Amino acid sequence: MKAQEIFDTWRKMGALLLCRHDFRKSGLSFSAFFAPDMVSEAARGLFEAGWFLEDLSAMPVKEGLLVTYHYAAARQPGRLAVRALAERGRLTSIAGVYQGAEWHEREAADFFGLEFIGNPNPVPLLLPHDFPDPPPLLKAEKDLAAMRDLGLFGQAREILDPAWAARLGALEKGEGAA
Amino acid sequence: MSNLFVNPFHFSTISENPADMLGDFYSLNFEKGRVDPDSMILNLGPQHPSTHGVLRILAELHGEYVLRAEPVLGYLHRMHDFMGQVKTPYQFLPNTGRVDYLHPVAWNWAYCGALERLAGLEVPERAEYLRIICCELNRIASHVMWWGAFVMDLGGFTPILYAFEEREKINDLLQIVTGSRLTMNSMRFGGMGADLDDRFLQKAADFIPYMRERLKMYDRLVTGNVIFRRRLEGVGPLDEEICRRYGATGPVLRGAGVAYDVRRAEPYGLYDRFDFEIPVAESPDCLGRYLVRLREIEESLKIVEQALARIPAGPYKHPKAPKVSWKPPAGEAYFAVEGGRGKIGIHVVSDGGKSNYRLKLRAPGFSNLSLFAEAARGTLLADALAILGSLDLVIPEVDR
Amino acid sequence: MDISLLNVIKLLLALLAIIVLLVLNSVVMVWLERKAAGFVQRRPGPYVVGPHGLLQTVADSVKLLAKQIVLPGSSDRLLFLSAPVLAMFPMFLIFLVIPYGPWLTGLEVNLGLLLILAFTGLETLAVIAGGWASNNKYSLIGAARCVSQSVAYEIPLILALLALAFMCGSLDLTVITEAQSGWVWRWNIFRQPLAFFIFVITCFGETNRAPFDLPEGESELTGGYHTEYSGMGFALFFMAEYTSMMLVSFLAAVLFFGGSNGPFINGFWWTFLKMGLFMTFMIWVRWTFPRVRFDQLLNINWKWLLPLGLLNLWVTAVVLKLF
Repeated sequence: MKAQEIFDTWRKMGALLLCRHDFRKSGLSFSAFFAPDMVSEAARGLFEAGWFLEDLSAMPVKEGLLVTYHYAAARQPGRLAVRALAERGRLTSIAGVYQGAEWHEREAADFFGLEFIGNPNPVPLLLPHDFPDPPPLLKAEKDLAAMRDLGLFGQAREILDPAWAARLGALEKGEGAA
Repeated sequence: MSNLFVNPFHFSTISENPADMLGDFYSLNFEKGRVDPDSMILNLGPQHPSTHGVLRILAELHGEYVLRAEPVLGYLHRMHDFMGQVKTPYQFLPNTGRVDYLHPVAWNWAYCGALERLAGLEVPERAEYLRIICCELNRIASHVMWWGAFVMDLGGFTPILYAFEEREKINDLLQIVTGSRLTMNSMRFGGMGADLDDRFLQKAADFIPYMRERLKMYDRLVTGNVIFRRRLEGVGPLDEEICRRYGATGPVLRGAGVAYDVRRAEPYGLYDRFDFEIPVAESPDCLGRYLVRLREIEESLKIVEQALARIPAGPYKHPKAPKVSWKPPAGEAYFAVEGGRGKIGIHVVSDGGKSNYRLKLRAPGFSNLSLFAEAARGTLLADALAILGSLDLVIPEVDR
Repeated sequence: MDISLLNVIKLLLALLAIIVLLVLNSVVMVWLERKAAGFVQRRPGPYVVGPHGLLQTVADSVKLLAKQIVLPGSSDRLLFLSAPVLAMFPMFLIFLVIPYGPWLTGLEVNLGLLLILAFTGLETLAVIAGGWASNNKYSLIGAARCVSQSVAYEIPLILALLALAFMCGSLDLTVITEAQSGWVWRWNIFRQPLAFFIFVITCFGETNRAPFDLPEGESELTGGYHTEYSGMGFALFFMAEYTSMMLVSFLAAVLFFGGSNGPFINGFWWTFLKMGLFMTFMIWVRWTFPRVRFDQLLNINWKWLLPLGLLNLWVTAVVLKLF
């Protein structure tokens, strides 16, 4: 299935925010924000459409812990990003859909203290099992940036969830003025 | 002094404390999933001749059969993600050559490409050609080393020393451009760190026919060997579906018959100007992956040949290339290149500060290795190690 | 054989000579193997100690002698320490019965072949003991492989040699050598090519050499049965490997290549020359071929060599009866 078609199904699936990107500028075609319990459903849709999971890239932002799943397909151009803000550091695991995600999730758990509910083997992967807290890639409060300052929302956006209007608020206004 | 005159009749015992033999955190965790009460749990590595580096594999064996296997990672973990977030982009650049010591140029390129994409930097045409020449030569060296190491996994010692001959020749070449022989760090944001000279062009042109001859020798020496064939044919079939579930790319995916190559799928550099094929295997087994890699060497030679013939004059670095104190603009970029082992991806997020806000390295070996547990299930121990070898792992890349 | 003082002295002298021969053989063979490997792999091999690295093995022996013997935890001390000795010592007896030349035999017995086959079986026992006593899983797998491998290989080997014994009408190695005297085409390799083929393959299996070095198989089992051995324990296993290589090479020379019978002046030099050539052949094979898989190894034996050996024996018997 083409990237555009998947993008359209996301709208029906209950994505919170849909973003279009310029592939040449960011390496992404489309991205969408989902609720944390929806990522596995999004993963299933992508799996059935013939896409594979490239990696799982988590990062701390002002709004919480943002987890980005990058997807690519062997027979389609483009790259899709499924994003979710982990609530209290918890997300559902997609290892049931993409078995390869098990390791990516364990890595993210090591680095950010994330908890993936349903991961079949939730033990540390890259860091020692007795690594002291806090997780090494978490940032201090003062170093955190807001998502809109990191340019994660791409060129064109569709806000499907009113809560996200506020998160994008300043950005939209700025663009509206321009 | 006393060490020189050790009494040979003095026997020392390492440990007689049974508590030392109960296993560590990972083997205890592995033992929880025991499927057969009569099985033997064997710990391969982190120091084991077949795990090439410091990979550790826990295997539950029933006789010679592997009932279950689980790789244990982290013995070479250096936290490149963190270093990328505390160092400036330029300071982190040498790290990329250390991620995968067999194909460092591709990692250089992935990182430079990601930041160039983020900042919208341009690369002069000559630099693009230089990048392609270095990357493809390095890919040949990487595949050749794999060839030797893989045959060594199967018990044939000699080929790896032949492979080193080729690798030395390539290193001699790359040394001229990159200045180093192992952890190359030749690229800069917006170009290359140095230009090549006539000596390089001459030596590279001589290398191509030499390498083609050597490939024929490889076929005669190894590919046609009956023992070798019997060890690989039908062993470890990995089809497209398993590759997709685990995100395996590179020769593993092409071994499954899928012509997926980042150089064609999302062209970067000037690869769209070059004429080369994406080899795919006819059978998805270890032999298929082996043949794919050998044919990739031929394709890389074709690319180098074309690049050497067409390389334009001009600057090797953009005149407006960023200085050392450069701060990339805020934003996000993902850049993927085709490494020797598969798709190398770099996800970089910047908040406009001195160092990257987030740097995520996607190592192809990481995803390729993750399918090992499933692929090794039910195979003979020797076959499991053949499968492991056919995945072409570089542990520093897996552990990052 | 009467037990006179002269005979006892002769026996003791022969044993002494054999010990010297075995030690010398190991020293030379380690050097030769490394040089041959170097030649195959296009590198010089040992080059620093002595001219062309000739004294390298001496230096290595000193190192191995001086090394501490480490006992693994909870190992069986007695078995662990006796296994290398058990691997080495039966070898001395085997070499007594080999006819090196027309007059050069340690002990002439009319069941020489049987004695050799019986004593080579002891080496397997040593490997099992070493592998079991090491209390190491790799060693254990190596030992288990060794057992199934020797069971699989000894039967075709015996069948092949039995065909020879049929033809020569004796198990006495001297008689077998004499039967091959005269012209080169009277050598058993020409009269029993199938037996020779089986013999060559089983040789690699018997001596645990590549491509059948599965009990060691370092890409799977790190060191196999001798993983835990250090110092002299390891050295003795190492010597046993080269000694068994020499043994099968002598057997090949005596049984198939006419022993001391040469194209020209007969004498013990022919036996030694043929032995050396066969050993070089074994080294060449080792550095050329990859290792077979364990089930393939057993399949070669049970499905190919065993029926072939039986066929060979049957044909030999029929031909002998008819003509």
